[in-house]
Formats: sequence, C-alpha cells, structure tokens
Amino acid sequence: MGTRITNNMISRSVLADLNEVASRQAATRRQMSSGKAITRASDDPYAAGRAMALRNELGGIRQHSRNVEEAQGWMAVTDTALSHIGDMAQRARELVIKGASDTLPDTSREAIAAEIEQLIAGMKQEANGTYDGRYVLSGSRTNVPPYDSRVLPPPAAPNDTYGGDSVKQQREIGPSVRMDVNTTGDRVLGGAPGDGKMLDILRNVAAHLRSGDTVSLGTQDLKDLTGQIENLLGIRAEVGAGVNRLETAAARLDQTEESATALLSETEDADMAKTLIDYSTQQAVYQSALNAGSRIVQSSLLDFLR
Amino acid sequence: MAVSTFMGIQTMLRGLLAQQRALDVTNHNVANANTVGYTRQEAVLGTTQPLAIPAGALNGTGSLLGTGVDVMSYQRVRDQFLDLQYRAQNMSLGEKSARSNSLQHVELALAEPGSNGVAAALERFWGAFGDLSNAPENPAARQAVVDKARALADNINQLQTGLSAAVTQAGAEFSALTASGGDIHRMAADLAGTMNAIRDAELTGAQPNDLYDRRDLLLDKLSEMGQVSVTASPAGGTDVALGGVTIVESDDTTGVARVPAGAFPMTFTSSPGGRLGALSDLASPTGPLAAYQQSLDRVAQMIAGTSAGTGVTTVNDIYQRDNPGTPLFTYGIGPAGTPVLALNPAITAATLSAGPGGPGANQTALDIAALRGGAIDKEYAQMVTAIGSAVADSKRQEATAQVLTDNLKDRRESVSGVSLDEEMTNLIRFQRAYQASARAMNTTDDMLDTLINRTGRVGL
Repeated sequence: MGTRITNNMISRSVLADLNEVASRQAATRRQMSSGKAITRASDDPYAAGRAMALRNELGGIRQHSRNVEEAQGWMAVTDTALSHIGDMAQRARELVIKGASDTLPDTSREAIAAEIEQLIAGMKQEANGTYDGRYVLSGSRTNVPPYDSRVLPPPAAPNDTYGGDSVKQQREIGPSVRMDVNTTGDRVLGGAPGDGKMLDILRNVAAHLRSGDTVSLGTQDLKDLTGQIENLLGIRAEVGAGVNRLETAAARLDQTEESATALLSETEDADMAKTLIDYSTQQAVYQSALNAGSRIVQSSLLDFLR
Repeated sequence: MAVSTFMGIQTMLRGLLAQQRALDVTNHNVANANTVGYTRQEAVLGTTQPLAIPAGALNGTGSLLGTGVDVMSYQRVRDQFLDLQYRAQNMSLGEKSARSNSLQHVELALAEPGSNGVAAALERFWGAFGDLSNAPENPAARQAVVDKARALADNINQLQTGLSAAVTQAGAEFSALTASGGDIHRMAADLAGTMNAIRDAELTGAQPNDLYDRRDLLLDKLSEMGQVSVTASPAGGTDVALGGVTIVESDDTTGVARVPAGAFPMTFTSSPGGRLGALSDLASPTGPLAAYQQSLDRVAQMIAGTSAGTGVTTVNDIYQRDNPGTPLFTYGIGPAGTPVLALNPAITAATLSAGPGGPGANQTALDIAALRGGAIDKEYAQMVTAIGSAVADSKRQEATAQVLTDNLKDRRESVSGVSLDEEMTNLIRFQRAYQASARAMNTTDDMLDTLINRTGRVGL
C-alpha cells in the first residue's frame, strides 16, 4: 500500500506552509518598518556584535569631535590674549628704549612710567580672557581671574600675584591621544614680585623710569624684557602648533566618522530596495499559498457524490 | 443431510448485519476524523463456519458449503514502531522549544541592538564623562553625568532582574510540572486508570480500541516532558518511567497499575530530557542563563569593582584614585536577591568631582571617558553575541525538531489517520454490499415464493 494522505495531513501541511511564509513575511516587515536588517541579536549575532562595536566607535569619534571643537575655542581665546599681550610687550620695549635716553626730561619719563603701568594693567586684562565663562589662563582654577587688573591709586601697592594654579587642562582628541590646551598665566606674565617674569620686569622698568636710572633701563631691563618677549613668542608658537594640530585632528575625525557611519549602515541597515522586492515576492507567495490551500483543503470526494 | 431451504436467507442476513457493522465502523471513523489521538478502525470481515454437506459432493466425499460473512474483529490500524520514533522526536522537540522560548524572552529583555539596551546606556555614560572633561564647571554637564550614571545602573539592574526572572520562571515551571499533584502526576494517575480499564476490558475478551488510543495519547503527551520508557512487568502489566523515574507501576501479582507512592515530587538522578531537561538546565546554576548572569555581573564589576577583582581598571578605581574613599558606584546584593548597581548616593551634580584641583580640573573625567570601547564594552558585546548565537541556534534546532516531529506525525497519520475520501469510498462499498445482500435475500424470497405458493398446484 502506498502512502495514505489523510485530510488532517493536508490541513497540517497547508497550515505549516502558510505559517512559514507568514513568519518570513513578518521578519521582512520588521526590517521595513525599522529600517534595520538586524532588530534582534539572533538575526545575525556576529553582525549584531559588530554593529555594537561600530556604534561605540562612532560615539567615540563624535565625542572626540566635540572635544576638538571645545579645545579649538579654548585655544583661540588663548591665542588672541597672547597676541594682544605680545603687542603690548613690544610697545613696552619701545618705551624702555625711549626712556633709556639720557636726554629725556624727567616729566617725560614719568609719563612713560604711567604708560608702562597702563600696559601692565592691559596685559593683566588680556590675561583674564574667558572662554564660555571660564578663565583660560588660570590653570584649573577657572572660576577665578588669574590677575587683579585694577589700577590702584599710588599709596596702595599693586597686586601682581597670579591667582590661578599650574594644573594642565587636557582634552582627548583621539583614542588615547591627549593634548594640553591651556597655558597658565604664570608662564606668560609671572605671578610674584622678583620672579623675573614680564610683570616683575615691567614694574622694575616703571621704578627705574621714575628714578631716572637710565643705565639699568638701557642694559638689564631691555635685556630682560627682550627675553620675556622671546618667551612669549615661544608660548605663542606652542599655541599655534596646538591650533594646527586640532585642525588636522578635526579633519581626520570628520573622515573617520564618515567611514564608520558608512560601515555601520552597511552592517545593520536594511537594503530598502531589496527588502521591498522581498516583501512583494513573499506577498505573492503568501497569496498563492492561500489560494492553493483553499482549493486543496476544500476538494474531497464528497463534492462528487450525489 | 440436506441443506435447509432457508439457508440463503440466513446467509444474506449475516451479510446485511456484517455490512451494517462495517458501516458503523466507518461512521465512527468519520465522526472522529478530528479527534486528537484517534486511530482509525477497520471491521475485519471473514467467512463464517462452512456447512459440511455429504450429498451433492464429488465422489461422495462430502464438501463444505459457505455460510456467509461475519465481523471477525474491529482492528485498530496503528504502527507501534512509529509511536516509539515519534515519542523520541517529540521529546527532542519539547526540549528545544522550551529552551528556545526561554532564550527568546531573555533576548527581548536584552533589547540589543537598539537605543534601549545597556550598550546604548554605556555609550551615553561615556559621552557624559567626555562632555564633563570639556566643561567640568558646567552644571548641566555635571547633572548629565549623574543622570547617565543612574540610567546605566538602572539598565544593568533591569537586565539582571530579567535574567534572574527567566531562571526563576524555568525553576518554577519545572517544579509545577514535577510536583505532587502537578501536571505529570495527573497524567500518571490518568494513565494508571486507563491501563486498569484496558486490563479489565481485556479480561472479558474485549478489545478496547478507544482506551488504547487514550493510553497512547497520554504517552505522547508525556514524551514531550522527557524520556518515556514503557516496560513489561510480570503479571502482564506494564511499567512506565519518565526520565528514569517510575511514574506508573503494575503490581507483580495482580497486574493492577498504580502511581507509586513517593514518585512525586519527582527527583531525577540524571537529565530527564525533553522539556523537563531543558527547564532544569535553564534553572541550573551551571546552565546558560546563569552564565549570562555571571557575564553581566562581570560587566558590573568592571564598573563598580576593583582592578584586583576584575583584572582591568574599573570606573570606581579611577574615581577613587582621585577621590579616596568615595566610590562613584556601589554594587551589592539587593533585597530581591539579585545584584544591584547604584550611583553612590553621596554623589550629586554639586559633589561630583571631575578631577583633583580647581573647578576646571578634568583628569578623572578624561580617564573615565577614555574607558569607552574598552573591557567593559567588550565584555558586554561578547555577552550579547553569546546570547544572540544561543537564540539563533536554539531557534534553528527547534525548527529542525519541529520538521522531524511533523514528518513522523505525518507518517503516523498516514497509517492511523482518518481519510474522509477513503471513508466515503467505504461508505459506498458497504452500502452497495448491503443493498446487494438485501437483493439476494429478495431472490431467495422469490424462490421460496415459487416453492411455497406455486408448487403442487398442477391442475388447479
């Protein structure tokens, strides 16, 4: 006897086939509505793991881009402040040369001394520059201005103390690539009387102008001031190099973001054209399965018996 | 000895009755076409005892005259060998589908890949620290760190709770099935009752086909739970064991079946196979779910533990390096018995430290943000891939087992199932035979009419 085919076998197999087609269709529908080829880890465990790693990488790249932007803003403020301070230091140097001349009357020297003091105040003002409400030259003490830039009337001693600290501020601009973004005020202007830095020297210059010590002005002071201007130029070069480095980093990050995004999309996004075609194919298969099923299940010897 | 004049009527009466019984069996089959576990029956027809007649025979040696038909037995069309194959495969299906169900629940709790899972929470957590490193003084950035840290802890706890719920659920289902008074106990009692009813019927010489079906259906259902073995016991009874535990035993002298005392709740010495095997594996501390719990625990340890315990620099390590005595996270067993990760309550947007030094110091934040994509993310991704593979694997195995089971079901159905076409054919066959018997009876009747009413009327 050959294989008997019973009505229950037919119903079961028609139903199983319909279920199979319907569940395939449901998976395709899920891909269409979510736009993702992988909506569950089991859809493709390897790709799911890879997508997670890529998304993480992409998150890191975007973070680094934000860090770079932040650092660029910070360094731009620093660079401007240093540039203005540099201009003022040049002016001070011209004044020292002028004041060192023996032929100059005392009143003129007094006027020059007053201008030097104004320059000191101006430099301090520049050093108090802020980015996003934070003092950029204060080290980590970003909530306090590095210098007291008030010009006090004569009896009061001027306060040249540096208010910040020397903590370095770093930004991560790439995986394990960190960069110092801040320049502390003490490196630029100094922060204590007698430390031989910019403010200390300019105070000496003012004193020597008032006392008419043209010898000191023309030799030691001029030499010290020139040294400080060189120091300043060195720091500006550092900052400039930093700015360049940030620009390169930003360009590189943009590129990597683009390729990581493309890779992620390739890994987890559904190919819409293919998904739509798959769906309509499955729809057609489903309908013909329904059609065939309805014929198979219905026909029976009963239809032909009178 | 002469043959009775009325023998033809008697023969045709047997024919009528036998065809009628055959029609009754057909009706029974049609009525039960959709009854689960029903086995189609056949009326086996056979010739009745022939009549020995000496006269009219060749050479006077006597001969046998057929006397008609009768139903010899009502046969149940079933292949016991297919039953054994089906039950073995059904056990495998029970195991695979229980495993696949549970793992798919875990996968849903995992919610990966997507924006609601732990991976996304980790990503946002690292981002918050990255932003904090850019603007440590910014209250919004500080608040974001606190919020994302809480969200990360919540996410991990939720997943841990989901995993532990899956373990508990598997254990609870296992207990409910194997408990005294549980599903299996009820089936065993039903089976013992059915076996005794069969025995009683057989003792009177009857063939209780429908009771056999009931017994076989119960064995089919039990086979989904675990390894079923049916063995003959002395006194003609049978013993039934599930996963090595005897759940129905027959008395060695009387053959009466009963559920042995102390069989429930069931305790297994080895894996019972089937659904019970899968459930006990899922609930076991060495099972797959426990392995995922441990994986997630390692992730939490890499956040809130120490490098001594995990072998990697943890988030807490970095935070405590710069803030001795103040961990960022706390981690311990919670009131529900599952490990709970939480942000240290002492840490708020105001007290959070981004680094040692002034308000602009950011070393801590930088170092924590740099953990992104490190051991923590990798450990978690590995766990997700492991769960994904396990789910994909179990789905595939379930589908295969389903196909094989369906296949065997079809083969069994092919032997034992009711085919309406066939029954309709039989209906016509037996109806026609019935009609023909009646017709033959008519013919005999006509003959008798001739004999009785027309004979001896010569000249009348």
